Amino acid sequence: MSDIDIKRISYLAKLKLPPEKEEFYSNSLKDIIKWVDNLKKVDTSKTEPLHNVTEKTISIRNDEVSKSNSVDDVLSNAPERAQNFFKVPKVVE
Amino acid sequence: MSNNWEMVIGLEVHAQLKTSSKLFSSSPNQFGSEPNENVNFIDSGMPGMLPVMNFGCIEMAIKTGYALNFKINKHSVFERKNYFYPDLPQGYQISQFEFPILSEGYINIESGDDKKKIRIERAHLEQDAGKSIHDIDPKYSFIDLNRVGTPLLEIVSYPDLSSADEVINYISSLRQLLMYIDVCDGNMQEGSLRADVNLSVRKKGQELGTRCEIKNLNSFKFIKQAIEYEFQRQINIIDGGGEIEQNTMLFDTSTGETRAMRSKEFSHDYRYFPDPDLLPVNLSQEQIDKIKPLVGELPQDKLNKFIDNYNLDKDIAKIIIAEKQNANLFEKMISESTVKPKFIAAWLVGDIFAFIKENNLEVNSLNDKTKDITDLLRLISDDVISNKAGKEILPKVLNGEGKPSELVKELGLEQVSDSGELEKIIDEALVGEEENILKFQGGSDRVLGYFVGKCLKATKGKGNPKLINKILLERLKK
Amino acid sequence: MKNSISQIKKALIEKKISVCELYDEYLAKAKSCNNNSFNLVIDRENNISSINDSQDRYDNGNPLPLDGIPLGIKDLFCTKGIRTTASSKILSNFIPNYESFVTQQLLNDGSIFIGKNNCDEFAMGSSNETSYFGPVINPWKNKNSQKDNLVPGGSSGGSAAAVAEGSCVASMGTDTGGSIRQPASLCGIVGLKPTFGSCSRWGIVAFASSLDQAGPLTNCVEDAAYVLNSINKHDFNDSTSSNHQREDYLVDINNSFEKKIKIGIPSDYLEDVSEDILNQIDNTKKALSKHGIEFVDVKFKTTEHALSTYYILAPAEASSNLARYDGIRYGVREDGESLDDIYLNSRTKGFGDEVTRRILIGAYVLSAGYYDAYYRQAQKVRRLIKNDFQRILNEVDFILTPTTPNEAFKIGDKLDPISMYKNDIYTVPTSLAGLPGISIPSGLSKNGLPLGVQFIGNYFEEKSLLQLAALAEKELSFNE
Repeated sequence: MSDIDIKRISYLAKLKLPPEKEEFYSNSLKDIIKWVDNLKKVDTSKTEPLHNVTEKTISIRNDEVSKSNSVDDVLSNAPERAQNFFKVPKVVE
Repeated sequence: MSNNWEMVIGLEVHAQLKTSSKLFSSSPNQFGSEPNENVNFIDSGMPGMLPVMNFGCIEMAIKTGYALNFKINKHSVFERKNYFYPDLPQGYQISQFEFPILSEGYINIESGDDKKKIRIERAHLEQDAGKSIHDIDPKYSFIDLNRVGTPLLEIVSYPDLSSADEVINYISSLRQLLMYIDVCDGNMQEGSLRADVNLSVRKKGQELGTRCEIKNLNSFKFIKQAIEYEFQRQINIIDGGGEIEQNTMLFDTSTGETRAMRSKEFSHDYRYFPDPDLLPVNLSQEQIDKIKPLVGELPQDKLNKFIDNYNLDKDIAKIIIAEKQNANLFEKMISESTVKPKFIAAWLVGDIFAFIKENNLEVNSLNDKTKDITDLLRLISDDVISNKAGKEILPKVLNGEGKPSELVKELGLEQVSDSGELEKIIDEALVGEEENILKFQGGSDRVLGYFVGKCLKATKGKGNPKLINKILLERLKK
Repeated sequence: MKNSISQIKKALIEKKISVCELYDEYLAKAKSCNNNSFNLVIDRENNISSINDSQDRYDNGNPLPLDGIPLGIKDLFCTKGIRTTASSKILSNFIPNYESFVTQQLLNDGSIFIGKNNCDEFAMGSSNETSYFGPVINPWKNKNSQKDNLVPGGSSGGSAAAVAEGSCVASMGTDTGGSIRQPASLCGIVGLKPTFGSCSRWGIVAFASSLDQAGPLTNCVEDAAYVLNSINKHDFNDSTSSNHQREDYLVDINNSFEKKIKIGIPSDYLEDVSEDILNQIDNTKKALSKHGIEFVDVKFKTTEHALSTYYILAPAEASSNLARYDGIRYGVREDGESLDDIYLNSRTKGFGDEVTRRILIGAYVLSAGYYDAYYRQAQKVRRLIKNDFQRILNEVDFILTPTTPNEAFKIGDKLDPISMYKNDIYTVPTSLAGLPGISIPSGLSKNGLPLGVQFIGNYFEEKSLLQLAALAEKELSFNE
């Protein structure tokens, strides 16, 4: 098993780990990854992945519009709003 | 110096599908609504909300499959593309990755005088993101999620394009096809069709270089500018001894330049995996076959028909088929009238299109005036009025100011085609013209024009020129 | 002794108690028990119209199936107008404008919600110690060390404790890898995880979408059938909801089986287990043998891989499911100079240690270079596990296992995540296979703490599973 780049993983997960906790998480992750490593021994060369035990759905909509909520229903929990927009500090691209 | 260099371009075109509702929610798929008006709890990524697929999107993808010569896959899978952005409420975009709905298609485009086949690697369905509005406040951005979940078909070409013109031809052709099969409104200004351009440069005959991706271009003008700028930028770097860094670029429309997006500390890693809230799309051959008849006539079919059946010149036929609504208008007029198609076509691409352009109209807005238009064209082709009078009346007809026959009367523009009356006028006009008559009889054809003009003037322009010509000749030859 | 739903309904019909009195009685209990089993209780005034409507229906002689029954709802179900937190700081101010499908069914059937049960944060935990609102205390005490506060299990720890302490008649939980069955076992009550796809996930804060399933925690098997009758319905808005024909789970529940029943006991599950646990299996075996039920040994090939599979797949799905919590549209926003800071601060401060850990595991196993080795491999092994169960359920009608490898332990005792994860050893395989499992109390440990056994049935065969559990319950009932 290669080393875990905890900085990169937390970057992907949009988390800013406090420096004093980086090692804690890094070690914890290493332990868990080592623990689950036993899966690699299993012969799955003839096995298809299983995404979901339900493999068929009838939930396919016709292309029809329905509106069941107001704009306020969507915005009522917003930490900051401006009129009917969600408000955030400026996004720099 | 760029003579030795060539550009290699592949395109990702995002076409918004014109369904009534969104890809995974039943909110309206509509442009120009009030902020967050078309947003439900699924669109805003509320806890516990689940997507339900809209079959209308699958139908439109299948139609596209037929139009763009794709292999239509019976099995496709929606996956999650994970990244953070305020426009993306779920923190992931539902897209297709390993198993897209369409693969291995192509279209033919024009390149100079030749045709060129552009291969298309794949097309897949995905959700559009919302919009951040940056220009209201200096410190804040405002988020409108109306566009979230709008169905997109992302059409990914192979790097088969080698000039800005080819790129524009390719996108125009795609746009035309998508509009013909009625899956996209093609409105680039509103963002219904957007392109990401992947461009690399190489010395002719050499291996592919490192590519840069210019994101989110939504006009032909910007696409051309961006490609030309980026081409030169890459050449300059290599000529200066540098190397191209693989990068995502933005095109600044105010400066006409491309620049790298704020470089990220780490490269992207979207961690795609099958969306556990959705099951794979499994289509039967029967379901796919059922959609084929809905594809309808494609531009090439129309072009052939217009040339072969209606006898149009290729150039005129091409102008008419360029947009489906033009072709529809033309075919409606043909079906409603016995005026020769070629005559209708000439007027359509001439005065009628000019009128539309001048007045900034939608072609479709003339659909309820086709009867009046063809009535007018009938009057012209039957010589009831002159060409010139026709041009005068046309705008009034198009503005709905009256029926052509009434307008002709009102304005007194009916041609004088009564030969008795014309004979009288001609006889008067010939009085005192003995010298010129002798000239004509001596072989000077120019004199004929002079006489026709004089007679027309005497009729105040209403005389039927053909008839005047005929009577004059009779008289003069005596 | 606690009253069952049918006993309470009888009392309401016979006017021995009013709906309001019933509500007050349980509410008083919910407020007086200091086990932290609720994140929020609902005062009578805020439920008064439901209480009155329910009383009217009793008075008019047409009560609904769960009319007037006070229920606890795990704080993972979105409840319209009622704060829903998933026991996380990041959602600690969230008030949904929608009602989850499952809780809507319960409301439609006349039940009244007494409050939102504490749980592990985003349902990630096996001891209810990861809640932002603090741990839940198991109402049971170790008779050899009465002072110690024990965990109720998790993640539906508050739901289990609330039923055990008597502050609601029944409660709703969710089970991803054992989160209903394990706390039911540690609190001495009944917990049912239905087949995946039975009860809609719509409106339940998602942990791992391919595993999450709602189910009841109750005092008795019959109560579980009452609740299941209400919540087990097809929902078009959940694409993974099954549209199979549902049955009335109360019919025949107390009847004996007409055909001969064979139950498999996986011997590999019982290697290295304590005498306490072995006793549970032996007791159950003895009790049911009296009814002519046959027991056979069965052997799984995949047991040792189930936990690894689960602890790859569940965090992978969770890492993506929890990406929506960013402080932009709802939830607690932490200050930040830039938008990116808001994201980072809101998420980092909004999630506790265990949730952070699982998000990191999930991001890791899905990341480039590791996806095939971990995530895809785990999905393949998941199929092998499912096939393994199907093979065994072709040979036997049910499978009997312990629910947990141990009794309730002291709060703060298990600090190491892996030893905590091992608590789910008997419940996780069923979850991966998507099969229904029910835990019923089977006896007491040497320390006088409750333990349970788990019966596993075939897909959508909850009816016979409940019938079996009811039969075993009669034989195994023990007094507190």
